Amino acid sequence: MTSPVLSPTTGEPASVIFRRDRLGLIFLVVADFSGTMALIISYVYLWSLNVNNGWAPNQQTFGNNDLLKSRSPLPWAADWPFWAILALTLVATIVLWMGIRSMRSGHRGGLVAAAALSTIILIAAIALQWWQITTFPFGPGNGAYASAVFLLTASVLAHLLLAGFLVLAVTNRTRAGLISSDKPFQARLVGYWMVWVCVSILLGAIVTTFMKDSPNTTPANFGEFSLYNPDAPTPSPSASPSPAQ
Amino acid sequence: MSAATIHQVQVPQPKQHGKPGGIMRHLNFFTGLVSGVVLALVFGYVMSLQFPAGALTANFANAAAGPVFWAMMVGWVVGFMGGMGAFVGPIRWLLGRDLTHADAEFMAGKDQGKFRYWRFTTDHKVVGIQYLIVAMIILGFGGLLAMLIRTELGITWMEVFNPDFYNSLVGTHGIAMIIAMIVVVSGPVGNFIVPLMCGARDMAFPRLNALSIWLLVCAVPPLILSLLVGGIRDGWSVYQPLNAQAGPGMIGYQTTIIVFAVSTALASVNIMTTVLTMRAKGMTWSRTPILIYGAFAAAAMGLYAFPFYMYSQILSMTDRLVNTSFFNPIEGGSVWLYQNLFWLLGHPEVYVILIPSIAVMMEIIPVFMRKPLFSYYMAIAGIVGVVGLSGLVWAHHMYMTGWAPQANYPFMLSTEMISIPVGFLVLVVIGTMWRGAFWSRLPMMAVFAVIFNKMIGGVTGVYLSDVPADQYFHGNMFVTAHFHYMLMGAGLFGAMGGIAYYFPKMTGRYLDERTGSIGFWTAFAGFQITFMSMFVAGLQGQPRRVLQFDNMFDISNWISTIGAYVIGIGMLIFLAAIMSSWRSGQAAPSNPWQAQTLDWQTATPVPLENFPVLPVVTKLPYDYGVPDPLAPKKLEEQYDEKVGAPS
Repeated sequence: MTSPVLSPTTGEPASVIFRRDRLGLIFLVVADFSGTMALIISYVYLWSLNVNNGWAPNQQTFGNNDLLKSRSPLPWAADWPFWAILALTLVATIVLWMGIRSMRSGHRGGLVAAAALSTIILIAAIALQWWQITTFPFGPGNGAYASAVFLLTASVLAHLLLAGFLVLAVTNRTRAGLISSDKPFQARLVGYWMVWVCVSILLGAIVTTFMKDSPNTTPANFGEFSLYNPDAPTPSPSASPSPAQ
Repeated sequence: MSAATIHQVQVPQPKQHGKPGGIMRHLNFFTGLVSGVVLALVFGYVMSLQFPAGALTANFANAAAGPVFWAMMVGWVVGFMGGMGAFVGPIRWLLGRDLTHADAEFMAGKDQGKFRYWRFTTDHKVVGIQYLIVAMIILGFGGLLAMLIRTELGITWMEVFNPDFYNSLVGTHGIAMIIAMIVVVSGPVGNFIVPLMCGARDMAFPRLNALSIWLLVCAVPPLILSLLVGGIRDGWSVYQPLNAQAGPGMIGYQTTIIVFAVSTALASVNIMTTVLTMRAKGMTWSRTPILIYGAFAAAAMGLYAFPFYMYSQILSMTDRLVNTSFFNPIEGGSVWLYQNLFWLLGHPEVYVILIPSIAVMMEIIPVFMRKPLFSYYMAIAGIVGVVGLSGLVWAHHMYMTGWAPQANYPFMLSTEMISIPVGFLVLVVIGTMWRGAFWSRLPMMAVFAVIFNKMIGGVTGVYLSDVPADQYFHGNMFVTAHFHYMLMGAGLFGAMGGIAYYFPKMTGRYLDERTGSIGFWTAFAGFQITFMSMFVAGLQGQPRRVLQFDNMFDISNWISTIGAYVIGIGMLIFLAAIMSSWRSGQAAPSNPWQAQTLDWQTATPVPLENFPVLPVVTKLPYDYGVPDPLAPKKLEEQYDEKVGAPS
């Protein structure tokens, strides 16, 4: 019978530390889930209200935009990077877990290779996310849809950067022998985090894909505000834009 | 490979790189301060280069001011935390340089004397003391602003401050006090006492513990600096669109909230994990002290609610800096979205403050009445009920905003329902006191003060939860008086009782009973004068957050201002009692109150590893005098039969 691996700092068995760390990670994910839900709720709230017909002004953000079409082979162009990033992150997660499984059967090199490959895939996902943010055919101020999508993509980027850091660390630590078949716990914790990153990206992808055209086609219209200028001529009343515009 | 002896066990050690602690030996608060200031200046300068000289916004404001102040805030946070050593751990982990036992002992502050309080120290007792001091500093700052506010309102014949500055005082006072009240019990008690009470050697994540306290320290300067660049003129809730229209000072507020929310989330994770995984052997859920339930409940509410507040400020910040339109109705945004996100934290936060305070009271009463806690299970039910309902009451703050009028009555119902579990807690407190052997000491005095204040705060809260009554009271001084009775009357006076109770364990000395009591009762009397009079002003219809008001409110405001000065004098006396007792008070034994929880069973001063041998729990810690007929003896016996009674 082999003696359990002990933590060098507290002397407790590494498995005890792992269970504690796993619970802590679950609580961190709960907090992060709340934050992600704040973004999702904001998106859905503004989508449902379409305040001042400003959810997606003149539909410029959707598939009828020529610039967007020119950049994308698909009709749901604004969304495909989201799904592609999700696919890449999912692959990175699966590869990492395969590495963890191979290490369980004694192949430490398997985890080193898998974590390295996972890091490379995550770098590709980060690059794709960066490309998406920098090439949106709209600015963050072009309506509530644009704002919400920008913040969702920024959130995904932040999650991916953290995931990239963690998986890179797993690669390095496994190579150095600090993660091994008798102490695989840190790799598993990073694997759990990767699963949550996939879920958070999926939530964003779902709302941006399936909740684009606001259901509120008769939104309240507030007109236009401008700085008060007593010398300016009285503006003539203008018709409010219709949802079809 | 070398080995270290930890609790009589030989444990293999990783390679020791240099002296224990490594680069952390050279990092402390002062290096953090210097690098924070330097990086803030550098970031601000770099950002200012992006704007041509004299660039103006559409409404003729300085275009560079907001982004430059934002860059300075980012520079401050990164620089301060980097200078403290917060990034050393992750980098060491990435590079594969794991801590040795000697490193961990250095990080815990072993043999470093008082200087360990200025470092990124991981020992939970050091962090608990740090929380106490930081909370008192923030309370002092917020209290000073309160004095200035009352000075303005009391001097009814002239304006003391510029109206904009007055508004800034109100907003900054509000958020400073909210932050202080959140941490004044949960911080010191949650970090110093809870691990001891659990019978643990430290918190679950010691480095996360140090990170959470230094993030809190990091969050304070942006709030103070914001006063110099326009301040927070819209109350602590900074509703949209006032938030968007405010000057760069709002960025200071937003930075504070974002950093504080991260700090709170990390502290919550730590407390919850400690409670769930590190309770002593035999400490089943039916033998767990009620304070642990309270700390866990507060952490749980903070964990799910604070991210909403954080994101309300992140979205506000992007609206301001990169022109997103979450809260701009012209571009499809909604100010109601802000209010929903804000109050999703804003109301649970009241219970984040109250529950630990009441839980401390429930620890104090059995000790000073020498009686078991009355109906332990009712206390747990009360705490669980409050946590469960806390997330369903936020919109009672929005009755008068016009958002979803159909939702007003369901929210009225849920808000009034929450008085049921709160009532459970009050019943437990009163039931425990009933026919007890009363031991009159300052902690017990605080219990009476809290009950008195909480009854008034609770009853007036029922009026405010009522939609028709709220139409009259909303936005007037009645509301201000009500929430001061809840947050200050119950929260702060409870915290003072908690400090008096745990002072001997935290410092090894008794709190000067005489001076402390004089300060406490002076503050209590001042509190009643201030806020009873404020209730009158509210009933008469005086709006809150307003500098100028009709002469009919003069007398109420004079009385309130006199009361506020009395509170200030009382607090200074109480502070003097703390400082003199800490420095040269009467030495206390390890268990001066003869309490039965584990925190009192270890030596004072508490050794670095808390307990020489981890304790085993065999009963509820409220076994004084006549047993409580409702105590879970049967469950204990069942557990002992199933698991085996600890020897």
